[in-house]
Amino acid sequence: MLKTTVVVIGGGATGVGILRDLSMRGVDAILVERDDLGYWTSSRFHGLLHSGGRYAVKDKEAAKECIQENTILRRIGRHCVEATESLFVRAPEDSEEFEQEWVKSCGECGISAIPISMDEAFKLEPNLSRKLLSAYRCPGAAIDGFRLLWQTVASANKYGGKAMTYKEVTAIETENGTVVGVKIRDKWTGVEDKIACDFVISAAGSFAGEVAHMAGLTVNVKPSKGTLIAFNHRICNRVVHRLHKSSDADIFVPHGSITILGTTSIDSAPDDTSTETAEVKAMLEIGKITFEEIYDYRILRVFAGTRPLYSADPNAKGRSASRGFVALDHAHDGIKHFMSVCGGKFTTYRLMAEKVCNIVCEQLGVNEKCHTAEENLVDDPSPELMNRAKAVFPSYGAELASSRLGNEKLERVIKHIETDPEMKELVCECENVTLAEIDEIAAEPTSHTVSDVRRRTRLGMGTCQGTFCAYRSVGAINKENMPWAKDSVDLLKDFLETRWKGIRPVLWGNMLRDIELTRAIYDAALNLSGVEDIK
Amino acid sequence: MAINKQHAIDPDKCTACTICVTACPVTAATRKFRGPKMTGPALTRLRKLVSDDDPMLDYCSNCKTCDLVCPSGVPISTLNMIAKNEYYKTHPRKSKADDMLAHSEKMGKLITSLPLGSTFANMGMSIGKAFNVMGAMGIAQSAKMPAYASESFISKFKKIKQNPYLRKVVFFSGCYINYNQPEVGVDLVKVYQKNKIEVAIDENFVCCGSPMVAGGYIDDARVNAAKNAALLKSWVDRGYDIVTACTSCGLMLKQEYQELFDFAGMAEYAAHMYDSIEYLAKLNDAGEFDTNFVNDNTKYIYHAPCHLKVQAIGRPSMELLPLIPGIDIEEADAGCCGISGSYGFKADKHEIAMKVGSKLFNRIKNSHAELGVCECGTCRLQMENGSGVKAIHPLTVLRKAYGL
Ligand SMILES: Cc1cc2nc3c(=O)[nH]c(=O)nc-3n(C[C@H](O)[C@H](O)[C@H](O)COP(=O)(O)OP(=O)(O)OC[C@H]3O[C@@H](n4cnc5c(N)ncnc54)[C@H](O)[C@@H]3O)c2cc1C
Ligand code: SF4
Ligand code: SF4
Ligand code: SF4
Repeated sequence: MLKTTVVVIGGGATGVGILRDLSMRGVDAILVERDDLGYWTSSRFHGLLHSGGRYAVKDKEAAKECIQENTILRRIGRHCVEATESLFVRAPEDSEEFEQEWVKSCGECGISAIPISMDEAFKLEPNLSRKLLSAYRCPGAAIDGFRLLWQTVASANKYGGKAMTYKEVTAIETENGTVVGVKIRDKWTGVEDKIACDFVISAAGSFAGEVAHMAGLTVNVKPSKGTLIAFNHRICNRVVHRLHKSSDADIFVPHGSITILGTTSIDSAPDDTSTETAEVKAMLEIGKITFEEIYDYRILRVFAGTRPLYSADPNAKGRSASRGFVALDHAHDGIKHFMSVCGGKFTTYRLMAEKVCNIVCEQLGVNEKCHTAEENLVDDPSPELMNRAKAVFPSYGAELASSRLGNEKLERVIKHIETDPEMKELVCECENVTLAEIDEIAAEPTSHTVSDVRRRTRLGMGTCQGTFCAYRSVGAINKENMPWAKDSVDLLKDFLETRWKGIRPVLWGNMLRDIELTRAIYDAALNLSGVEDIK
Repeated sequence: MAINKQHAIDPDKCTACTICVTACPVTAATRKFRGPKMTGPALTRLRKLVSDDDPMLDYCSNCKTCDLVCPSGVPISTLNMIAKNEYYKTHPRKSKADDMLAHSEKMGKLITSLPLGSTFANMGMSIGKAFNVMGAMGIAQSAKMPAYASESFISKFKKIKQNPYLRKVVFFSGCYINYNQPEVGVDLVKVYQKNKIEVAIDENFVCCGSPMVAGGYIDDARVNAAKNAALLKSWVDRGYDIVTACTSCGLMLKQEYQELFDFAGMAEYAAHMYDSIEYLAKLNDAGEFDTNFVNDNTKYIYHAPCHLKVQAIGRPSMELLPLIPGIDIEEADAGCCGISGSYGFKADKHEIAMKVGSKLFNRIKNSHAELGVCECGTCRLQMENGSGVKAIHPLTVLRKAYGL
């Protein structure tokens, strides 16, 4: 049995933010995540570090929080943030009065919105529709979800905070109305264990209701599903918003090598990440107003996540913190030292954590203040390290690898290639991922599938969506010390199946041609479907 | 920069099938080059995201074999050339030869405008070589450089008396014919006259820009393209067809301009552009090609230049030359010669170029042919350089067979 002061349930943005905050205040904490870090909403999202512009008219409080946190994250999380800036553009179908109100609101919220001529806008973003009427530059940015989670945990680790993945909380144990611990079960081995603790914070996102239910409580989360479309290349180099009352499919975010268009909003089950062709078509029709040639751009995949929206229950007591999210202290429901946190935005994950930890620390009698805005998540790589990286990585690889890996792993990977130059061969040519990186991440105790390796390296996330890197990576993963990597057929199937899930609804054009090639390789040449009979 | 969006910067069509990699002659010759798929579509995506040193770009010779084999219609070599152009805007060049080789017209003009300029220039090249001046400039020591002619084609052309005919073409001679091998141009006029075609030239044409593009000077090429495209359009408007006797010029004017730039009227004139032999083959199809040949008992071997293959016009020379009585001609079918315009002259690429061409050289040597035949000037030079067998333009073969 493990022991700690606080157990945090959920390894999404909210959970890791809380883990880091507590650890930095000197509070002993363990985060328990049922799947991989960021497996749910915190990677199935738009990847936009909001400037606040989107909320300026409707919710000034949220807008101010966004610009404040945007400024902080650009600094402390600079290896996860692509400081692209954003453009708000008004189309003929958007109201001019709204534009005026928006400009005024941005001013009131302290969000810089610089008007530029359309000529300049087209120079900055040549693919924009020539029908657009006005444009403003704002400080929006792109943020990498996986990376932010891992780096936040790395920062917490330095202060003693621990995160465990593939451990599901199966019960919350109480004695005399106070939390005393949680039961956990390992997803891979089925082994059960307990963690004794003084406090439990549920940051289970859309699953917050289910977790509360374990303690016999009700938390009214109403998950709302949003669909996102990933395009094969950078259509724009800045985030592009429609300047109108927030609505569906009106934001494009350039993200690494791709562009993401989103999103939508429909009530759903917490684990509903399905997508449909009809949705995609409707989104493209709207997206076309911003980028006229949208139908020419190749779609890589679609995916969906669920917003953990809290439905205001008039009887719920103890609601606090910001409008954007709720922190429920279940002492009001009869269980002490148990809180549920849900709602909010990725952008404000640090602020949410600060507010929650203020409450928790007060109850635990800890006086230490929050320091999370003052310290960078990870250190910058030294110029020496970057020079070594440049010497061993293929072109365009050093910078990408450095931000993916973080310093410690980067150094190990470099050393690996220095001693064995073969290791610099690319396994994933689309995203420039080397054999050495795959080797490094696969050997991490947190890796259990090729998809885990993918989430941390971007392996298989490019044009061919795994067609070539699937068999290469399965072949490359060192099977000797890795029990999970023994069955190559299962690895291949699992990896390809997760990739295909996002492709099926958009199986047309260039993607269809690509998938025919994939089928030729895996079904015809490797007989992956037939291999079961042989096994 | 107004790059043609439709063709140029879109990496979306690539299915990563790797067929281009298996066909690229440079990839086969050196492990230093990662091949067309990477340098072209794959890295085009990443270049939109990060910038980095990219020594790979210099290895692509723009031979366009990759474009030819790609089943998805990706303009791979053009992606490479655009990337190279962008790259050298912010990175220093490694070799001084780049500028000189890319702007061959400048050299040509200078040398042929001086009295005895070509003699000195050609001498200079051999003397320069002896003192390793060329080496210092980044030109391969053992590469045989094109010699300059004492009189340009344009000057020779003006002295030719032509019969007027209804069928008229404007001949875009290009730098190589104008400054280095003017006799090929004269061959064209003689052979065309024999076939009742009147040939015009236009002194306002400038270098097509092919070597500029290959050298990473697309912005210079754009200036030339604007000029040539407008002139070509005006000739077509006046009822002329356009012919070239250099397959690189032809490809550039007909296809690469459209991939790279966005000027009006390019598609219109391109529909009237022909390779000089293709044009005659068209006459032959219509039964209008003059086949009154004298015997030619020479043994030839024909090499199809990459830039002809990628035009998808078949092998017009292999249609016409076999009509000559007594002729013994076979196609080499041995891939790229390696020179790719100026590529093989560069010190750091010469060895690769010779390796790429080795299959062709051996083929020529083993064929025991007396002469090589090829439409492209620098290919002919490379054939001679690699096999020791002299190579001539198919127009030269025709002229001889007409007894002209
Ligand atoms: C389509 C979409 C687009 C969005 N775009 C943006 C955007 O551009 N910018 C922005 O700032 N915000 C955006 N958001 C909002 C943002 O993504 C979410 O607010 C945020 O990611 C929520 O994080 P979370 O940690 O609360 O939830 P999650 O990331 O879902 O994390 C909850 C975790 O709890 C785990 N868990 C559940 N039950 C258990 C259990 N019993 N035991 C152990 N673990 C458990 C789950 O496995 C899960 O990993 C978007 C949301 C959606 C849906
Ligand atoms: S143009 Fe020629 S050298 Fe360049 S990548 Fe294509 S095939 Fe290879
Ligand atoms: S560029 Fe063409 S040939 Fe090369 S990998 Fe892509 S689709 Fe295949
Ligand atoms: S390609 Fe043609 S015009 Fe152009 S340089 Fe050769 S010879 Fe000059």
